[in-house]
Amino acid sequence: MSKRFAPSAVVAVAAIVALSACGSGSGSGGGADGNPTSASGTIRVLVPSYPASNEGKAALQKVIDAFHKTYPNVKVEPDFATFATLNEKISTSIASGQGYDVYVTGIGWIPPFASKGVFKDLGEFGVTNDNLNKGAAPALSAAEYNGKIYAVPLIFGPKPMAYSKKAFAAAGLDPSKAPQTWADLREDAIKLTKRDGGKLTQAGFDFWAPPTSYRQDFVTFLGALGQPLYKDGKPNFATPEGEKALNEMSSLINDDKVSDFGLASPDGQPLVFTGKAAMGVAGGYIDCAKVGQARCDDLTFFNLKEQDTAMFSGGQLASVGAQSQLPKASYDFIKLLSSPEAASDIAKLNFGVPAVDGADQLDVVKSNPASAFAATQLDHMVFEGGSTNWLEVRNNFGAQLDTVLLGKADAATVLQGLASK
Amino acid sequence: MTAIKTEVAGRTAAPPPRAPRRRAQGLQGSRKRAGWVMLAPALVHAAVFLLLPMVMLVALSFTDYQFLGAYHWVGIDNFVQLMSDDRWRTALLNTVLYTVVTVPIAMAVALLIALGLNSGIRARGAMRVLYYMPQVTATVAVATVWLWIYQPDVGLANSVLGLFGLPPQGWLTNPNLSLPSLMLVGVWQGLGAKMVVYLAALQSVSRDQLEAAQLDGANRWQTFWNVTWPALGPAHFFVFVTSTIASFQVFDLVFVMTKGGPGSSSTVMTYEIYENAFQGLQLGYAAAQSVVLVVLIGVFTLIGLRLQKVSSDV
Repeated sequence: MSKRFAPSAVVAVAAIVALSACGSGSGSGGGADGNPTSASGTIRVLVPSYPASNEGKAALQKVIDAFHKTYPNVKVEPDFATFATLNEKISTSIASGQGYDVYVTGIGWIPPFASKGVFKDLGEFGVTNDNLNKGAAPALSAAEYNGKIYAVPLIFGPKPMAYSKKAFAAAGLDPSKAPQTWADLREDAIKLTKRDGGKLTQAGFDFWAPPTSYRQDFVTFLGALGQPLYKDGKPNFATPEGEKALNEMSSLINDDKVSDFGLASPDGQPLVFTGKAAMGVAGGYIDCAKVGQARCDDLTFFNLKEQDTAMFSGGQLASVGAQSQLPKASYDFIKLLSSPEAASDIAKLNFGVPAVDGADQLDVVKSNPASAFAATQLDHMVFEGGSTNWLEVRNNFGAQLDTVLLGKADAATVLQGLASK
Repeated sequence: MTAIKTEVAGRTAAPPPRAPRRRAQGLQGSRKRAGWVMLAPALVHAAVFLLLPMVMLVALSFTDYQFLGAYHWVGIDNFVQLMSDDRWRTALLNTVLYTVVTVPIAMAVALLIALGLNSGIRARGAMRVLYYMPQVTATVAVATVWLWIYQPDVGLANSVLGLFGLPPQGWLTNPNLSLPSLMLVGVWQGLGAKMVVYLAALQSVSRDQLEAAQLDGANRWQTFWNVTWPALGPAHFFVFVTSTIASFQVFDLVFVMTKGGPGSSSTVMTYEIYENAFQGLQLGYAAAQSVVLVVLIGVFTLIGLRLQKVSSDV
């Protein structure tokens, strides 16, 4: 066990926790919740938004200090989880009867957990479509389940596309003319691709995805056809549009050979930022000091528009735990998390765009061209998830898309198989 | 005086037939009690941390438990679903393949290294440390180094291929290469522990028998095959069983290096269990998968035991 993780053993232990703790309540402490000054107890907050570094802790402390001005007797107990371990944290905490009071999760998490009663309906605190801050509105669909709002968006993690103007010029393309349609994209990508004896020296288009991670690219391509991944909680990808989107991606890799399957930078950066690709999917943040101002100036950001303009985005949303003994305090903590100051800090720490009104005017957004562009495109965001079983399907989704991109299966069969799960 | 008299009388008169047996039984009884007392902590530990979780695991495998909300008894539905789960089937095959390939290769290489280190070569102490180091290094660190080695652009593996004019390979992005690439890391990482066991076993091979074989004119191969190899029987069994169990539990390499991909080409049973339990929140289903894993490990261990018996009978 010390050398090798044995999930079966963990599952066994989790089984005991599950069977023994069923029905127990929250361990977040009691106390009156109505009057903030007399409320007492502890709220446990699951905050993957803040890394457990000095910088992350200092940023969260600012929120906690602000919270204590209103709730002087309510202790805040943060859990600096990562998104990689978020599900384990949530599931085991609830199974052991020690659910959190505040959960920060990602796009796609809300319907699965809301349907299982993990989150509180924020309508209890007066949250409606109309009074939710306007900056969060583009992600409203990701915060809802069954017509009720279960989360407040904090930041977006957009993935626009970018190209190198120099590479465009070198390939005889007009650097001022970004590709719009898939046909444009393919034509440009082919011209931009450079190979030396078969070895790729410059990718014409980079998906910014290692193996099993092409899911978000698929959502973008599907979105460019005007289709969401799920519609009313039902799969919307086993459709002619879904097949077309996946086949288009496959053609870029297998027919046009503008990239190699699974090509990725060792440090996880988009290849268009590192110069290995002339064009590709990019992050919503670029550190110009790190990559060099010249590279920053050389990049132009754009989004595909086959039928609709589409920019994939992840994001972070905050919810109140259904088991919370201090729900009002928990919601007030979320209001502080979603303030422009705190959201800016979270955006900076997570390379995102704050989900607040007037985000494009914030320093954190204006500080780099990727965020500045993405902030103007928030109305075109497309998201993954949307069904109550998304967390079950998600694992297999990327792996199944791989089989099509590797030419080992056809798109229709794979997408129908995924939709039937 | 009374005591002496009694002792003398005891020597001369016939001893009462039942007294010693009773004393012996009493002694035996107290020994047994002492044994149980000494065993108790281990038994309690085993019951609480092994037996109880196992019973719970089996119980959970017959439910649709998802961590959250109510759960129901679903009979053998989870096991039936496993039969038609393509990804699980691939994981099972990959795990068996990983075990069948890595265990014998790693055992053979470890034995060769142990034989070398047992032959009085120079700096053998340093060599032992070098061979054992991967064993005491965190797998995540090992995997990270190998990720660089396998990196398509700047990795060592493709650089070496380049020296011979061979084209670069997608070690972890080509579905035909991803599992073999993981196997290589697994073999390399597991060498140290196996080598140490073999080395200890080699050092306990009877000197008398080795000398006798030499006096009888046996060459090195004959000495190895007829004296050393049989003496290594218990070591073979130990290494085989522990390596098999470890191979079935391989997780961290897959988690860090490939996430089971591309597609399902390098997924293994433990990774699927983890994914279903903690990412998909299907704990009941993952429990059923765990039960299958436990049974498989048991079967392979039994096979090892049979082979050991056959070998020792011969």
